[in-house]
Amino acid sequence: MASVSVTNARKSYGNFEVLHGVDIDIQDGEFVILVGPSGCGKSTLLRMIAGLEDISAGGISIGSRLVNNVPPKERDIAMVFQSYALYPHLTVEANMGFSLKLAKASKEEITRRVREAAQILGLEHLLQRYPRNLSGGQRQRVAMGRAIVRNPQVFLFDEPLSNLDAQLRVQMRSEIKQLHQRLKTTTIYVTHDQVEAMTMADKIVVMRDGFVEQIGAPLDLYDRPANLFVASFIGSPGMNLIRGEICTTGPLTFIAEGGFELPLPPEATVTHGAKVVYGIRPEHITIGQGSVSTQVVLIEPTGAETQVTTKVGPQQLIVTVRDRVDIHSGDPIAIAPDVSKLHLFDKATGKRLT
Amino acid sequence: MKPTYLYRLMIWVGIAVLLIWSLGPIYWTIASSFTPTDDFSVRPIHFFPQHLTFDHYARLLGINIARIGGVEVFKQFRAALVNSVVTSVAATFLCVAISALGAYAFTRLEFPGRKVLFVLVVATLAIPAYAVLIPLYQIMINLHLVDTYVGVALIYVSAFLPLSLWLLRSVFEALPIALEEAAQLDGAGRLYIFFNIVLQLAGPGLTAAAILTFLGAWGQYLVPLIFSPQATKPLTVLIPEFVTKNFVDYGLITASGSIAIIIPALVVIFLNRYLVSGLLAGSVK
Ligand SMILES: Nc1ncnc2c1ncn2[C@@H]1O[C@H](COP(=O)(O)OP(=O)(O)O)[C@@H](O)[C@H]1O
Ligand SMILES: [Mg+2]
Repeated sequence: MASVSVTNARKSYGNFEVLHGVDIDIQDGEFVILVGPSGCGKSTLLRMIAGLEDISAGGISIGSRLVNNVPPKERDIAMVFQSYALYPHLTVEANMGFSLKLAKASKEEITRRVREAAQILGLEHLLQRYPRNLSGGQRQRVAMGRAIVRNPQVFLFDEPLSNLDAQLRVQMRSEIKQLHQRLKTTTIYVTHDQVEAMTMADKIVVMRDGFVEQIGAPLDLYDRPANLFVASFIGSPGMNLIRGEICTTGPLTFIAEGGFELPLPPEATVTHGAKVVYGIRPEHITIGQGSVSTQVVLIEPTGAETQVTTKVGPQQLIVTVRDRVDIHSGDPIAIAPDVSKLHLFDKATGKRLT
Repeated sequence: MKPTYLYRLMIWVGIAVLLIWSLGPIYWTIASSFTPTDDFSVRPIHFFPQHLTFDHYARLLGINIARIGGVEVFKQFRAALVNSVVTSVAATFLCVAISALGAYAFTRLEFPGRKVLFVLVVATLAIPAYAVLIPLYQIMINLHLVDTYVGVALIYVSAFLPLSLWLLRSVFEALPIALEEAAQLDGAGRLYIFFNIVLQLAGPGLTAAAILTFLGAWGQYLVPLIFSPQATKPLTVLIPEFVTKNFVDYGLITASGSIAIIIPALVVIFLNRYLVSGLLAGSVK
């Protein structure tokens, strides 16, 4: 196990820079997830850590060793590819033992370690099969098995679950997390799925367009997103974001672009006339009472909770309620944001204000 | 839509024409090889041989001793058959081995001038053999390689390498690079990856390259006519020699021609099973 640190890492393909100076510190044994929309450079960064892409500028260290010029095989890392990349002409057992064989481990040791890993992953009965005879989920497990067998310093995962169906994805999510709790190997995991990131990570790195937007524990990102991007990216359904400005005189209120008013907490530290974005999560709005009159547009019950889409002027606001409600689309309804859970962002920079 | 009667008729006529076109000469060769020498001068000619004989094969295989120009026919034939097999097999192995290594380098290694070099090599496909025959002859004379297996095989290799290289490069390009990256992380070096991953998965491509090269080498006439005049003379050069000043030995020509057809046919049938694709199934989604 080892810590990993990425210092001002940049990556260019020709004149086209795809990573613009990334800094991440990963503690020994931590489960870190790189998350962001497709094309933001997550895979590139992971592959730079693996040594599959060279580093245009900056540094990457594993443990205390700077690995910029260390070839992949000497970095003592294992990677699980999105496509699994199982060797099709080798059995599951040979796939899993491939690296040990290359490391010239004895036959007995290879067998022992492959069996151990197979047991952890429930693959014992599949050891003699070929990848083509496995289901998607089994292939995924074999790919993980191949990584576990090596007992590396760091595990790297590149969207390992994206080829699985939804149900299996949820199951593998918890299995990977349990595996990490058991092995405690430093893990860097790439996904574009914020739910995966929220549920699995010790620490999330939110990326966009080659920049790191925010790094933090899942709930910290949820509760205090540093900017509009993180606010809208983390959480499902997403945070309601309403553009507008603070009133110019009198007690502080927020005037949305559609002309309606929303309440601010009394202690809000904003200036009159400031152009801001008002952010409130769907579960922090109560319905049935309050100062904002809206109209119900859509009701989406999920069983545990109900998602109500309401409309104020041109703006749609999503509210989630835990209780069963007897309302219908078209009904007028009053709502009240919980101002203690309010997020305010600067409209120009997108940065969090309070 | 149900195909109309006319449409089906056209398809069948097309197939029939193609079959006659490609199989007709082969049938004629084989049928003639069983026709007694005397029947060749009978007119009108018959589609089916009127009498059957194994005499021509007997002469070729040395069961009946026959001589042309004082040399026993079957000894000549046996030597030419061996020569054809040796040069074609050697050329095939060399060509596939070299082009596999080369194609892999062109696919996965970054080196300056990679694209230009590849285009140049493949462009040599457009150069007809007769254009380089004379300078090549001078080179081979100086290297003392005329009428040697090495010389002929090398010429074949140089002739078929570009095609094979081109074919194998597209085969390698189609292999998922993630497999090689996984092997790299597992601790494998370039050559290990090449031999233990890439070549294992490129079987169908290698087979196709081998078949193309073998068939190409087997059918060469002009090159061995010049570079294999005696000791390494192959079947293609020997067979026309059964035409002598006074007598065209159709029986020998067609019997040896039949054998010359059967060998590559067997090679293709044998290799065909390795052409099956689907080897990659299950490795990457
Ligand atoms: N080999 C390459 N050459 C040029 N551009 C590349 C290459 N690989 C990736 N990119 C670009 O780098 C950016 C980040 O890619 P990637 O790291 O794969 O994104 P992500 O994994 O976050 O979806 C993308 O804009 C992509 O087009
Ligand atoms: Mg990616």
